[in-house]
Order: sequence, then structure tokens, then C-alpha cells
Amino acid sequence: MKNPFGVISGKVFEIIQESPLIKTLRIRPEKPISFKTGQFVELSVPGIGEGPFAPSSSHFISDTMDITIMKTGFVTGHIHKIEVGDRVGIRGPYGHGYPIDKFKNKDIVIMGGGVGLAPTRSLFLTLLDEIDNYKSITFLAGAKTPNDFIYKDAISKWREVDKVIFLRTVDSIPEGQKWNENTGVVTTLLEKVKIDPKDNPSVVCGPPIMMKFGTFALKDYGFTDENIYLSMEKKMYCGFGECRHCVIGKYYACKDGPVFTYEMIKNEEAIWE
Amino acid sequence: MIIRKEDLFLFFNRCISEKIDNYEEILLPKKNNQKDEKQFYFTKYNSDENIEYDLESFRTIDPIKTLFYLSRENVSSTSLHSKKRIVAGIKACDLKALNILDKALINDDFVDPAYKKLRDNTLIISSDCNRITDSCHCNLVGGKPYSESNYDINLSKVNNNNYYYIVVGSKKGEKFLNTMKEHVAVNKAPQDVFSLVEENRKDILEKLEKQNKKYYHTENFDELKNSEEKLWIENSDACVGCGACTNICPTCYCFILNDETEAEKFVKVRSYDSCQYHGYARVAGDNSPRPKMHQRFRNRYLCKFSYFNSNFDTIGCVGCGRCIDACPAEIDFREVVKKLS
Repeated sequence: MKNPFGVISGKVFEIIQESPLIKTLRIRPEKPISFKTGQFVELSVPGIGEGPFAPSSSHFISDTMDITIMKTGFVTGHIHKIEVGDRVGIRGPYGHGYPIDKFKNKDIVIMGGGVGLAPTRSLFLTLLDEIDNYKSITFLAGAKTPNDFIYKDAISKWREVDKVIFLRTVDSIPEGQKWNENTGVVTTLLEKVKIDPKDNPSVVCGPPIMMKFGTFALKDYGFTDENIYLSMEKKMYCGFGECRHCVIGKYYACKDGPVFTYEMIKNEEAIWE
Repeated sequence: MIIRKEDLFLFFNRCISEKIDNYEEILLPKKNNQKDEKQFYFTKYNSDENIEYDLESFRTIDPIKTLFYLSRENVSSTSLHSKKRIVAGIKACDLKALNILDKALINDDFVDPAYKKLRDNTLIISSDCNRITDSCHCNLVGGKPYSESNYDINLSKVNNNNYYYIVVGSKKGEKFLNTMKEHVAVNKAPQDVFSLVEENRKDILEKLEKQNKKYYHTENFDELKNSEEKLWIENSDACVGCGACTNICPTCYCFILNDETEAEKFVKVRSYDSCQYHGYARVAGDNSPRPKMHQRFRNRYLCKFSYFNSNFDTIGCVGCGRCIDACPAEIDFREVVKKLS
């Protein structure tokens, strides 16, 4: 019998400091791990603990995996102490990712904020790998300040791709930081978007407050509840609907999500917290 | 079929000493001490004549999950060893709970290997309740003080007589009965036995109904969802969030996974968690869907009466009343449900 708690060992071969609090670990697992973009894995530090993270790399790559992690608590604190060559464990992938088959020949709007850019980068890179299948990708990215932006080095490359519009905004610009793009919360970027929301999909991922107002803004823009995809952040311990920590009403975020349409969960309790 | 009490215990004895059918362990409810009649614990059977086992009274202090879903378990290993065993004296509430755990832990999406192994290696002998305790309330949640399914063997004590009426509930139980027949006297039941059993069952059910008359009588538990927040605040006022209720509940199975290391291996240890704790659903940045005590208190009731229903087509309370006994604030689950539904 396959053990659902089984772990695949991996080695960290590169670490990118994305922002003061966010790092991307590039991991080479002992055997390839295939996943669908939007799914998550449990990443463990030996003897310390594990946490759920969505890979931030394209799902067409299985021999290595990028995971972008913000330092925010006990386990992530230890993850940030990891050095190149260290061993980590990976369980998964778990849950349902983005239904990219449904995105074919569509104008796709992706809204991501803070470390919520991680799963959306995976989606973005996965879409880029087959860009011919899609009509256009509009990426609306937000961060608190210019220094908090992650994936800075890749932006100019992504902006060169045909059919891609990549807009960025920051909440504020502290003294000493430079910024010549939009200022304001991420939803203000929607004003610059000129696509027909009818039958087109939109994706939102970020901190709880951004998820809430992002969803409302996408609704106001005209996206239907079925076409707004949310990547829910809940405490997903086991990954397969056993431990109950991530229950959202009748759903398990880990098993039925973490990607839900707004239509699915809009009537459940406390989805924004 | 019927068996005399002495013969049943004689068989248990021989089972272990002669390794009949390779059984290695028998667990039975044992009286805690002579003074406290209300306490029974599942204990490993031992042929010492001074130990008094009680198959007939009411449910044990410890819920049945503690024998199948251990409070702490290394789940990394795939070569789990578990003894072939018999658990006897399981009451209907616990058996119902075990059936719910089966749905949660052995299903199409997921099988918990450790739980399954213990389930597969255990013969279940249930027995009717012949007494009730103050917190017993299975009758309020659609239960009965005797089992009608999900057992391998069920035993009903026949009033004032020193024998049990045996009902077989599975192939495993049938095989066990045949083995028993080879070793001890198992006789055909007299014609009137079932009416005696029925009479006794009716009697206990009446006692339960009398005891719980003042509580709720509803099947529409979904109403709990619509109760006003202030009622939850009022009713959870005494709650200290210790988690005793969830730990002792036979259907609560929420767990956390801890990481340990053994040389170069990753080790995952599964242990009970409680939705009553603040850290239970907390995520990065200290966000929590239920930061306040009354919200977590409410979650437990809704989980039992609403979420379990949508996940497993059954409510999650079996009416054993253990949470009532365990609560240091003396919160009565029945009272709360009555006030809020």
C-alpha cells in the first residue's frame, strides 16, 4: 500500500533572495514530481516541520521545482535558514489546480499580490510555455513597496512576450526607493485593462484582504462568479482531506481546492479570513 | 445462539494461552475500582480472577478511537505491525463512531494505513447497554443503546441469567463463532430469548428517554447554523478552550503532523489536534478564520451537526456524553444544543 504520508527527499541547488522577506528555493527532488499548476506540496525541513506551498515554477518542469516562501512564522523561519546543498522533503502534489484547459483561446486576467505572486507565477509560466493556445494574458501584480516586489529580474523578459501585458503597482513608495509604475492597491490596475470580461477567466491570489477586494473588483469589472478563480489560503496539514484543518463549509481547501471558483465558495463562512 | 458468561471468558482465556486463530490480545472494559461504579476502561484481558470485567454496563471512559486511531503515531513507516486482537464490550455509540471514522479514514480519496491495519486486525464484539450514565444521550441523536449493525458479534445479556445471546454480524464473526463452538459450549437459544432481549432493550431505552426528556427533540440540527452570535457568546462564556471535549469525542479525528528525524529518514508523527485551540486554523501572518473562543466553540457544534453531514451523510455526535463528563467548566452539550437549535 502506498503511504500517503510518504516524503520525497530533495536538495536545494539555488536560493534567490527575492525581497527582504521572500526567498525562492530551487529544489531538485530525488525523483521527478509532476504537478498541475495551482496545486500545492508540503515542504518539510527535517526535524522541524512542514508547510503547504504552491510551486512557483511551470508545471511542464518536473525534475526541479521552485518554491517561493515568505518568512512569517516558525517553519518558514527555518526554511529561510536553509543553505544551498541542504536537504528538504516534499509530499504531494495535492488538490486541484487551475483548469487551464478551460483557459484555451481566452483573454486571461491574473491578479496577484505579495507572495501571492508565487502560485500565479507558476500559472503564468505554464501558460507562457504554450502561449499559442491563449488569446492574451494580462498580469496585474501588486506589492507593498517597490522593494517588496518579487521576480524583479524576470519582468522585462516577460513584458517582451507578444500577447502579454504585465502591469505592476505598489501601495506606497517609502523614501529612498524608486518607482515609475502605478501607485495604488492592485485593483486600481483593472482600470487600465481593456478586455471583454464575458466568458473570460480571471485569477486572484494574495493576502486575505487582497483576495476579498480583488474578487469584488473583478466582479464589478464584469467577470462572472464561475470565471473568478481563487487560490485559497488555509492551514492545510495533511493535503488529502483527512485532518480537517482547512475545512471551508462542506469543502476541504486541500482536496477540493486550493483553487476554487468564487461561485463554489461564495456562500460559505469566513472565506476571507 | 447463546453462551454462558463463564464459557465466554474461558474461551477468551484459551484464545490467548493456546493462540487460537492467532489472537494475541483481547481488550475488555474493566471496572476502575470497586468504589466508582461509573468508570470503565478498555484493558488488556488477563486471566487473574480478581479483575472484574464488565461487558454489560455502559460505555467506557476512553472512546473507542483510542484503540484504532492512536493519540500519537508514527505514520511514515509502511511496515506497521499490529497484533491480531479482539475488542469486546463496545457499545452502540462507540460502534457508530467507529463507522464514521471508517468513512473519514478509509475512502476513495485516502486510506490511513495505520488505522486500516488496526481495523483489519481487530474482531469487534459489541454488547447491549444494561445501564446508563448521567451523560448518556444516544436517543437524542438517533441512536439506540444497542447495536444493530457494524459488529462482527453482538452480545445481549439475558436478564437475570448468566448467559449472552449471540448475534453474528459478519463473515469474520461467523468464523469466530464456529471457532468458539469448537472450544466451549455454545448452545441453541431458547425460543423466548429474543423477547427477553427486546424487553431489556426497551427498558434501557425508556430510562434514556426519561433522563433526556428535558433536552432537545429535533432532527433539524442545521438550525444551529442560523443561531445568533450573541447566543454563542453567552453559551461559550465558561469555556476555557482546553480541548478536552474534542480529545475525548469518539468521532473527532483532526490531527497535526509533526516532523521528526531518524538518521537520514523523514519521520511524520500524527497526533490529535483540537479545533478549540487558537492555533488550529491559524495561517501565515497570524490570520485565523476563528480568532475568538465563541467562534471555535461554535465550530465544534457545527462540525458535528452540519459539516459531518455534508462530508459523510451522518451527524458527528453519537450521544456518548463523554464531552459533558470531561468538561472542566461543566458545559452540557445537550443544554447548548437545546438552547441554540
